[in-house]
Amino acid sequence: MAIAIQPYTPDLVPAVKALNSRLAAGGVVREFHFPESSVPEWLPKLPGRRLYQEYFLAVEGEAVRGGYIVKYQDFWINGENRPLAFYRLPLSEGIVNRAYTSVGVVMLRSALARQPVMFALGMGGMHNPLPQMLTALRWALREVPFYFRVHHPGRFLRNIAPLRRDAARRLLASLAALSGTGWLGIKAAQRLRTRAISGLQVERIESFGSWADELWQRCARNYFASAVRDSATLNLLYGEEKYLCVRVSRASQLLGWAVVLDTQMRQNKYFGDLRLGSIADCLAAPADALAVIQGATEFLDQRGVDLIISNQAHHAWSSALRSSGYFTGPSNFIFAASQGLAKVLSPLEQNFSQLHLNRGDGDGPINL
Amino acid sequence: MNAQLYERVRSIAADVLQVSATSITQQSSTENVESWDSVHHLNLVLALEQEFDLQFDPEEMDHMHSISHILQVLDNKLNHRSS
Repeated sequence: MAIAIQPYTPDLVPAVKALNSRLAAGGVVREFHFPESSVPEWLPKLPGRRLYQEYFLAVEGEAVRGGYIVKYQDFWINGENRPLAFYRLPLSEGIVNRAYTSVGVVMLRSALARQPVMFALGMGGMHNPLPQMLTALRWALREVPFYFRVHHPGRFLRNIAPLRRDAARRLLASLAALSGTGWLGIKAAQRLRTRAISGLQVERIESFGSWADELWQRCARNYFASAVRDSATLNLLYGEEKYLCVRVSRASQLLGWAVVLDTQMRQNKYFGDLRLGSIADCLAAPADALAVIQGATEFLDQRGVDLIISNQAHHAWSSALRSSGYFTGPSNFIFAASQGLAKVLSPLEQNFSQLHLNRGDGDGPINL
Repeated sequence: MNAQLYERVRSIAADVLQVSATSITQQSSTENVESWDSVHHLNLVLALEQEFDLQFDPEEMDHMHSISHILQVLDNKLNHRSS
Protein backbone atom coordinates (compact mmCIF):
# COMPACT_ATOMS: atom_id res chain seq x y z
CA MET A 1 0.00 0.00 0.00
CA ALA A 2 1.27 3.47 -0.87
CA ILE A 3 2.50 5.99 1.66
CA ALA A 4 0.63 9.30 1.69
CA ILE A 5 1.90 12.41 3.44
CA GLN A 6 -0.84 14.28 5.23
CA PRO A 7 -1.28 16.78 8.08
CA TYR A 8 -1.54 15.26 11.55
CA THR A 9 -5.21 15.27 12.54
CA PRO A 10 -6.68 14.15 15.90
CA ASP A 11 -8.07 10.91 14.43
CA LEU A 12 -4.49 9.78 13.75
CA VAL A 13 -3.35 9.97 17.39
CA PRO A 14 -4.00 6.23 18.05
CA ALA A 15 -1.97 5.35 14.92
CA VAL A 16 0.91 7.56 16.11
CA LYS A 17 0.79 5.85 19.52
CA ALA A 18 0.96 2.51 17.72
CA LEU A 19 3.97 3.75 15.72
CA ASN A 20 5.68 4.84 18.94
CA SER A 21 5.02 1.40 20.45
CA ARG A 22 6.65 -0.28 17.47
CA LEU A 23 9.59 2.11 17.73
CA ALA A 24 9.92 1.40 21.45
CA ALA A 25 9.83 -2.34 20.78
CA GLY A 26 12.67 -1.78 18.32
CA GLY A 27 14.73 -0.03 20.99
CA VAL A 28 14.07 3.61 20.03
CA VAL A 29 14.14 5.81 23.13
CA ARG A 30 11.17 8.02 24.01
CA GLU A 31 13.08 11.18 23.09
CA PHE A 32 12.81 10.08 19.44
CA HIS A 33 9.12 9.20 19.45
CA PHE A 34 6.64 11.33 17.53
CA PRO A 35 4.34 13.67 19.54
CA GLU A 36 1.12 11.97 20.61
CA SER A 37 -0.97 15.09 20.13
CA SER A 38 -1.89 16.60 16.79
CA VAL A 39 -1.53 20.12 18.21
CA PRO A 40 2.08 21.15 18.91
CA GLU A 41 2.75 21.98 22.55
CA TRP A 42 5.59 24.25 21.43
CA LEU A 43 4.59 27.01 18.95
CA PRO A 44 1.14 25.85 17.83
CA LYS A 45 -0.43 27.58 14.84
CA LEU A 46 -2.69 30.40 16.00
CA PRO A 47 -4.55 33.07 14.03
CA GLY A 48 -2.16 35.81 12.94
CA ARG A 49 0.93 34.05 14.31
CA ARG A 50 3.87 33.78 11.91
CA LEU A 51 6.02 31.64 14.18
CA TYR A 52 4.44 28.21 14.45
CA GLN A 53 4.81 24.52 13.78
CA GLU A 54 2.89 22.00 11.70
CA TYR A 55 3.05 18.22 11.96
CA PHE A 56 2.92 15.89 8.97
CA LEU A 57 2.55 12.12 8.93
CA ALA A 58 3.45 9.36 6.49
CA VAL A 59 0.30 7.25 6.43
CA GLU A 60 -0.11 3.80 4.93
CA GLY A 61 -3.75 2.77 5.08
CA GLU A 62 -4.67 2.83 8.76
CA ALA A 63 -1.06 2.88 9.95
CA VAL A 64 1.38 5.75 10.49
CA ARG A 65 4.89 4.93 9.27
CA GLY A 66 6.64 8.20 10.05
CA GLY A 67 6.29 11.90 10.58
CA TYR A 68 8.07 15.21 10.48
CA ILE A 69 7.62 18.74 11.79
CA VAL A 70 7.93 22.02 9.94
CA LYS A 71 8.59 25.19 11.92
CA TYR A 72 7.80 28.43 10.12
CA GLN A 73 9.58 31.60 11.14
CA ASP A 74 10.24 35.01 9.61
CA PHE A 75 13.83 35.76 8.67
CA TRP A 76 15.49 38.99 7.72
CA ILE A 77 17.50 38.18 4.60
CA ASN A 78 19.46 40.72 2.63
CA GLY A 79 17.16 43.59 3.58
CA GLU A 80 13.83 41.77 3.35
CA ASN A 81 11.60 39.83 5.71
CA ARG A 82 10.63 36.40 4.43
CA PRO A 83 9.27 33.24 6.01
CA LEU A 84 11.54 30.19 6.09
CA ALA A 85 10.62 26.60 6.84
CA PHE A 86 12.71 24.51 9.21
CA TYR A 87 12.59 20.72 8.76
CA ARG A 88 12.71 18.98 12.12
CA LEU A 89 12.39 15.63 13.84
CA PRO A 90 11.88 13.45 10.77
CA LEU A 91 11.07 10.03 12.11
CA SER A 92 10.59 6.89 10.05
CA GLU A 93 9.62 3.37 10.93
CA GLY A 94 12.48 2.45 8.61
CA ILE A 95 14.84 2.71 11.61
CA VAL A 96 13.28 -0.41 13.11
CA ASN A 97 11.75 -2.12 10.08
CA ARG A 98 13.63 -2.24 6.79
CA ALA A 99 10.39 -2.60 4.84
CA TYR A 100 9.97 1.15 5.47
CA THR A 101 13.43 2.31 4.44
CA SER A 102 11.94 4.57 1.78
CA VAL A 103 9.71 6.53 4.20
CA GLY A 104 12.48 9.00 5.14
CA VAL A 105 13.10 9.85 1.49
CA VAL A 106 9.40 10.18 0.72
CA MET A 107 8.88 12.55 3.68
CA LEU A 108 11.86 14.72 2.80
CA ARG A 109 10.88 15.05 -0.84
CA SER A 110 7.28 15.78 0.11
CA ALA A 111 8.39 18.50 2.55
CA LEU A 112 10.58 20.06 -0.13
CA ALA A 113 7.76 19.98 -2.66
CA ARG A 114 5.63 21.97 -0.18
CA GLN A 115 8.44 24.32 0.95
CA PRO A 116 11.40 24.52 -1.44
CA VAL A 117 13.03 27.26 0.67
CA MET A 118 13.86 25.22 3.72
CA PHE A 119 16.66 24.56 6.19
CA ALA A 120 17.68 22.01 8.76
CA LEU A 121 19.87 22.65 11.81
CA GLY A 122 21.67 20.64 14.47
CA MET A 123 21.43 17.00 13.41
CA GLY A 124 24.27 15.78 15.62
CA GLY A 125 27.03 15.80 13.01
CA MET A 126 27.70 15.17 9.35
CA HIS A 127 27.91 11.39 9.84
CA ASN A 128 24.21 11.02 10.70
CA PRO A 129 21.62 9.81 8.14
CA LEU A 130 19.73 13.11 7.74
CA PRO A 131 22.77 15.25 6.80
CA GLN A 132 23.85 12.50 4.42
CA MET A 133 20.44 12.48 2.76
CA LEU A 134 20.48 16.26 2.51
CA THR A 135 23.94 16.13 0.93
CA ALA A 136 22.64 13.62 -1.62
CA LEU A 137 19.82 16.05 -2.43
CA ARG A 138 22.47 18.74 -3.01
CA TRP A 139 21.64 20.83 0.01
CA ALA A 140 24.47 23.09 1.16
CA LEU A 141 25.81 21.99 4.55
CA ARG A 142 28.04 23.98 6.92
CA GLU A 143 29.21 23.37 10.48
CA VAL A 144 28.22 26.19 12.84
CA PRO A 145 31.44 26.85 14.82
CA PHE A 146 31.55 25.60 18.43
CA TYR A 147 33.25 27.45 21.28
CA PHE A 148 33.88 26.57 24.91
CA ARG A 149 35.44 28.18 27.98
CA VAL A 150 36.42 26.30 31.15
CA HIS A 151 35.50 27.96 34.46
CA HIS A 152 36.30 25.24 36.98
CA PRO A 153 39.26 23.34 35.56
CA GLY A 154 39.33 20.85 38.43
CA ARG A 155 35.74 19.72 37.94
CA PHE A 156 36.19 19.93 34.19
CA LEU A 157 39.22 17.63 34.29
CA ARG A 158 37.49 15.15 36.62
CA ASN A 159 34.42 14.96 34.39
CA ILE A 160 36.18 14.90 31.09
CA ALA A 161 38.75 12.24 32.01
CA PRO A 162 36.33 9.26 32.11
CA LEU A 163 34.61 10.42 28.96
CA ARG A 164 37.70 10.79 26.85
CA ARG A 165 38.20 7.02 26.80
CA ASP A 166 35.59 6.99 24.08
CA ALA A 167 37.62 7.99 21.07
CA ALA A 168 34.58 8.24 18.87
CA ARG A 169 33.43 11.48 20.38
CA ARG A 170 34.99 14.20 18.32
CA LEU A 171 33.87 16.96 20.60
CA LEU A 172 35.75 15.48 23.48
CA ALA A 173 38.94 15.21 21.50
CA SER A 174 39.57 18.92 21.72
CA LEU A 175 38.40 19.16 25.32
CA ALA A 176 40.66 16.29 26.22
CA ALA A 177 43.57 17.89 24.39
CA LEU A 178 43.02 21.06 26.36
CA SER A 179 42.72 19.11 29.58
CA GLY A 180 46.24 17.85 28.99
CA THR A 181 47.52 21.29 29.90
CA GLY A 182 46.12 20.92 33.44
CA TRP A 183 44.07 23.49 35.31
CA LEU A 184 46.83 26.08 35.53
CA GLY A 185 47.37 25.84 31.79
CA ILE A 186 43.67 26.24 31.08
CA LYS A 187 43.35 29.30 33.31
CA ALA A 188 46.47 30.91 31.86
CA ALA A 189 45.51 30.22 28.26
CA GLN A 190 42.02 31.69 28.74
CA ARG A 191 43.32 34.76 30.55
CA LEU A 192 45.87 35.43 27.80
CA ARG A 193 43.18 35.25 25.15
CA THR A 194 40.72 37.56 26.89
CA ARG A 195 40.39 41.20 25.85
CA ALA A 196 38.43 42.45 28.85
CA ILE A 197 35.86 45.23 28.59
CA SER A 198 35.18 47.26 31.71
CA GLY A 199 32.07 49.06 32.93
CA LEU A 200 29.47 46.57 31.73
CA GLN A 201 26.10 46.31 33.46
CA VAL A 202 24.42 42.95 33.19
CA GLU A 203 20.80 42.78 34.27
CA ARG A 204 18.51 39.77 34.31
CA ILE A 205 15.15 40.42 32.64
CA GLU A 206 11.85 38.57 32.85
CA SER A 207 10.70 39.37 29.32
CA PHE A 208 11.60 41.35 26.21
CA GLY A 209 9.97 44.77 25.87
CA SER A 210 9.90 47.57 23.33
CA TRP A 211 13.62 48.14 23.95
CA ALA A 212 14.23 44.76 22.27
CA ASP A 213 12.24 45.90 19.22
CA GLU A 214 14.29 49.08 19.01
CA LEU A 215 17.48 47.07 19.27
CA TRP A 216 16.30 44.66 16.58
CA GLN A 217 15.41 47.56 14.25
CA ARG A 218 18.82 49.09 14.85
CA CYS A 219 20.81 45.85 14.46
CA ALA A 220 19.05 43.85 11.73
CA ARG A 221 20.57 45.76 8.85
CA ASN A 222 24.05 44.79 10.09
CA TYR A 223 23.35 41.14 9.33
CA PHE A 224 23.02 39.54 5.92
CA ALA A 225 20.52 37.10 7.44
CA SER A 226 18.99 36.42 10.83
CA ALA A 227 15.75 35.06 12.24
CA VAL A 228 13.59 38.01 13.23
CA ARG A 229 14.48 38.72 16.85
CA ASP A 230 11.81 41.17 17.91
CA SER A 231 10.15 41.15 21.34
CA ALA A 232 7.06 39.19 20.22
CA THR A 233 9.23 36.40 18.79
CA LEU A 234 11.63 36.34 21.74
CA ASN A 235 8.85 36.21 24.34
CA LEU A 236 7.34 33.23 22.48
CA LEU A 237 10.67 31.42 22.25
CA TYR A 238 12.09 32.18 25.69
CA GLY A 239 9.09 32.44 27.99
CA GLU A 240 10.03 29.34 29.98
CA GLU A 241 11.75 29.72 33.35
CA LYS A 242 14.83 27.73 32.32
CA TYR A 243 15.87 30.50 29.95
CA LEU A 244 17.93 33.17 31.69
CA CYS A 245 17.63 36.37 29.70
CA VAL A 246 20.10 39.18 30.34
CA ARG A 247 20.42 42.70 29.05
CA VAL A 248 23.90 44.18 28.68
CA SER A 249 24.54 47.93 28.88
CA ARG A 250 27.44 50.31 29.36
CA ALA A 251 27.07 53.82 30.75
CA SER A 252 23.28 53.29 30.68
CA GLN A 253 23.38 52.63 26.96
CA LEU A 254 21.78 49.36 25.88
CA LEU A 255 24.24 47.23 23.90
CA GLY A 256 22.38 43.95 23.50
CA TRP A 257 20.90 40.87 25.13
CA ALA A 258 21.70 37.21 25.58
CA VAL A 259 19.68 34.12 26.45
CA VAL A 260 21.74 31.70 28.51
CA LEU A 261 21.16 28.39 30.26
CA ASP A 262 22.65 27.02 33.45
CA THR A 263 22.13 23.26 33.52
CA GLN A 264 23.39 20.60 35.90
CA MET A 265 24.24 17.71 33.59
CA ARG A 266 23.79 14.12 34.81
CA GLN A 267 25.93 11.48 33.12
CA ASN A 268 25.68 13.38 29.88
CA LYS A 269 27.53 11.70 27.01
CA TYR A 270 29.44 14.89 26.21
CA PHE A 271 29.61 16.74 29.53
CA GLY A 272 29.44 14.07 32.24
CA ASP A 273 28.20 15.68 35.49
CA LEU A 274 29.41 19.17 34.70
CA ARG A 275 27.35 22.22 35.44
CA LEU A 276 27.02 23.51 31.91
CA GLY A 277 26.50 27.14 30.98
CA SER A 278 25.50 27.93 27.43
CA ILE A 279 25.06 31.13 25.49
CA ALA A 280 22.15 29.98 23.37
CA ASP A 281 21.07 33.20 21.71
CA CYS A 282 22.14 36.82 21.61
CA LEU A 283 21.76 40.06 19.72
CA ALA A 284 23.72 43.27 19.42
CA ALA A 285 25.27 45.30 16.66
CA PRO A 286 28.37 43.35 15.53
CA ALA A 287 30.59 46.00 17.13
CA ASP A 288 28.96 45.28 20.52
CA ALA A 289 29.08 41.49 20.28
CA LEU A 290 32.20 41.35 22.48
CA ALA A 291 30.49 43.30 25.27
CA VAL A 292 27.44 41.02 25.19
CA ILE A 293 29.53 37.85 25.20
CA GLN A 294 31.59 39.13 28.12
CA GLY A 295 28.46 40.20 30.01
CA ALA A 296 26.83 36.79 29.47
CA THR A 297 30.06 34.99 30.39
CA GLU A 298 30.39 36.99 33.62
CA PHE A 299 26.74 36.29 34.48
CA LEU A 300 27.21 32.53 34.05
CA ASP A 301 30.55 32.57 35.86
CA GLN A 302 28.95 34.23 38.89
CA ARG A 303 26.31 31.50 38.95
CA GLY A 304 29.10 28.94 39.29
CA VAL A 305 29.02 26.99 36.03
CA ASP A 306 31.96 24.70 35.21
CA LEU A 307 32.01 25.16 31.46
CA ILE A 308 30.37 27.59 29.01
CA ILE A 309 29.64 26.65 25.42
CA SER A 310 28.20 28.45 22.40
CA ASN A 311 27.67 27.86 18.68
CA GLN A 312 27.80 30.99 16.53
CA ALA A 313 28.00 31.36 12.75
CA HIS A 314 28.51 35.12 12.42
CA HIS A 315 32.13 36.27 12.32
CA ALA A 316 31.56 39.09 14.83
CA TRP A 317 30.14 36.69 17.45
CA SER A 318 32.85 34.13 16.72
CA SER A 319 35.49 36.78 17.13
CA ALA A 320 33.85 38.02 20.35
CA LEU A 321 33.97 34.50 21.80
CA ARG A 322 37.63 34.05 20.87
CA SER A 323 38.46 37.45 22.38
CA SER A 324 36.70 36.38 25.58
CA GLY A 325 39.01 33.41 26.09
CA TYR A 326 36.87 30.77 24.40
CA PHE A 327 38.51 27.89 22.58
CA THR A 328 37.09 26.42 19.44
CA GLY A 329 36.20 22.74 19.13
CA PRO A 330 34.76 20.46 16.46
CA SER A 331 31.10 21.20 15.84
CA ASN A 332 28.26 18.70 15.52
CA PHE A 333 25.77 21.53 14.95
CA ILE A 334 25.09 21.57 11.23
CA PHE A 335 23.28 24.15 9.13
CA ALA A 336 21.79 22.78 5.92
CA ALA A 337 20.14 24.94 3.26
CA SER A 338 17.92 23.45 0.56
CA GLN A 339 18.83 24.35 -3.01
CA GLY A 340 16.07 26.97 -2.91
CA LEU A 341 17.43 28.57 0.25
CA ALA A 342 21.05 28.32 -0.89
CA LYS A 343 20.05 30.40 -3.90
CA VAL A 344 18.52 33.04 -1.61
CA LEU A 345 21.69 33.07 0.52
CA SER A 346 24.02 32.93 -2.47
CA PRO A 347 26.98 32.91 -2.48
CA LEU A 348 26.68 30.86 0.72
CA GLU A 349 30.42 30.19 0.85
CA GLN A 350 30.94 33.90 1.30
CA ASN A 351 27.77 34.76 3.20
CA PHE A 352 27.74 31.97 5.78
CA SER A 353 29.84 33.99 8.24
CA GLN A 354 27.39 36.89 7.78
CA LEU A 355 24.44 34.81 9.02
CA HIS A 356 23.43 35.36 12.62
CA LEU A 357 22.73 31.74 13.47
CA ASN A 358 23.07 29.98 16.82
CA ARG A 359 21.43 27.47 19.19
CA GLY A 360 18.42 29.77 19.51
CA ASP A 361 17.49 28.90 15.93
CA GLY A 362 15.89 25.73 14.64
CA ASP A 363 14.83 23.44 17.49
CA GLY A 364 15.81 26.06 20.04
CA PRO A 365 18.27 25.28 22.83
CA ILE A 366 17.42 21.62 23.31
CA ASN A 367 19.91 19.22 24.92
CA LEU A 368 21.52 22.11 26.81
CA MET B 1 11.28 -8.19 -18.34
CA ASN B 2 13.65 -6.02 -20.35
CA ALA B 3 17.09 -7.62 -19.89
CA GLN B 4 18.94 -4.46 -20.83
CA LEU B 5 17.01 -2.44 -18.25
CA TYR B 6 17.72 -5.07 -15.60
CA GLU B 7 21.45 -4.92 -16.30
CA ARG B 8 21.51 -1.11 -16.07
CA VAL B 9 19.59 -1.13 -12.79
CA ARG B 10 21.73 -3.92 -11.43
CA SER B 11 24.92 -2.06 -12.22
CA ILE B 12 23.65 1.18 -10.62
CA ALA B 13 22.36 -0.65 -7.56
CA ALA B 14 25.65 -2.47 -7.10
CA ASP B 15 27.55 0.78 -7.38
CA VAL B 16 25.31 2.72 -4.95
CA LEU B 17 24.87 -0.09 -2.44
CA GLN B 18 28.57 -0.95 -2.65
CA VAL B 19 28.10 -4.64 -3.35
CA SER B 20 29.17 -6.80 -6.28
CA ALA B 21 26.85 -6.77 -9.30
CA THR B 22 26.64 -10.56 -9.19
CA SER B 23 25.08 -10.39 -5.71
CA ILE B 24 22.24 -8.21 -7.00
CA THR B 25 19.21 -10.16 -8.18
CA GLN B 26 15.58 -9.26 -8.74
CA GLN B 27 14.93 -10.48 -5.21
CA SER B 28 17.46 -8.07 -3.68
CA SER B 29 15.62 -5.69 -1.37
CA THR B 30 15.87 -3.47 1.69
CA GLU B 31 15.22 -6.64 3.68
CA ASN B 32 18.19 -8.65 2.47
CA VAL B 33 20.87 -6.15 1.38
CA GLU B 34 22.57 -4.93 4.54
CA SER B 35 23.78 -1.62 3.11
CA TRP B 36 20.35 -0.65 1.68
CA ASP B 37 19.39 1.88 4.36
CA SER B 38 17.52 5.18 4.02
CA VAL B 39 20.59 7.12 2.87
CA HIS B 40 21.51 4.53 0.23
CA HIS B 41 17.88 4.33 -0.79
CA LEU B 42 17.90 8.05 -1.54
CA ASN B 43 21.20 7.73 -3.39
CA LEU B 44 19.78 4.86 -5.43
CA VAL B 45 16.65 6.84 -6.31
CA LEU B 46 18.76 9.86 -7.33
CA ALA B 47 21.17 7.73 -9.37
CA LEU B 48 18.28 6.10 -11.24
CA GLU B 49 16.68 9.49 -11.89
CA GLN B 50 19.94 10.74 -13.34
CA GLU B 51 20.58 7.64 -15.42
CA PHE B 52 17.07 7.58 -16.92
CA ASP B 53 16.50 11.33 -16.93
CA LEU B 54 13.23 11.20 -15.00
CA GLN B 55 11.84 11.97 -11.56
CA PHE B 56 9.97 9.55 -9.32
CA ASP B 57 6.79 10.49 -7.47
CA PRO B 58 6.64 9.81 -3.72
CA GLU B 59 4.27 6.88 -4.35
CA GLU B 60 6.73 5.37 -6.81
CA MET B 61 9.66 5.83 -4.44
CA ASP B 62 7.70 4.05 -1.77
CA HIS B 63 7.30 1.00 -4.03
CA MET B 64 10.99 0.81 -4.89
CA HIS B 65 12.13 -1.33 -2.00
CA SER B 66 13.36 -4.22 -4.13
CA ILE B 67 15.06 -4.55 -7.51
CA SER B 68 11.98 -6.22 -8.99
CA HIS B 69 9.79 -3.35 -7.80
CA ILE B 70 12.27 -0.80 -9.16
CA LEU B 71 12.12 -2.56 -12.52
CA GLN B 72 8.31 -2.45 -12.49
CA VAL B 73 8.23 1.26 -11.67
CA LEU B 74 10.88 2.06 -14.26
CA ASP B 75 9.25 -0.08 -16.90
CA ASN B 76 5.91 1.68 -16.39
CA LYS B 77 7.51 5.10 -16.37
CA LEU B 78 9.64 4.54 -19.46
CA ASN B 79 6.73 2.99 -21.39
CA HIS B 80 4.51 5.89 -20.37
CA ARG B 81 7.14 8.35 -21.59
CA SER B 82 7.59 6.66 -24.97
CA SER B 83 3.83 6.31 -25.65
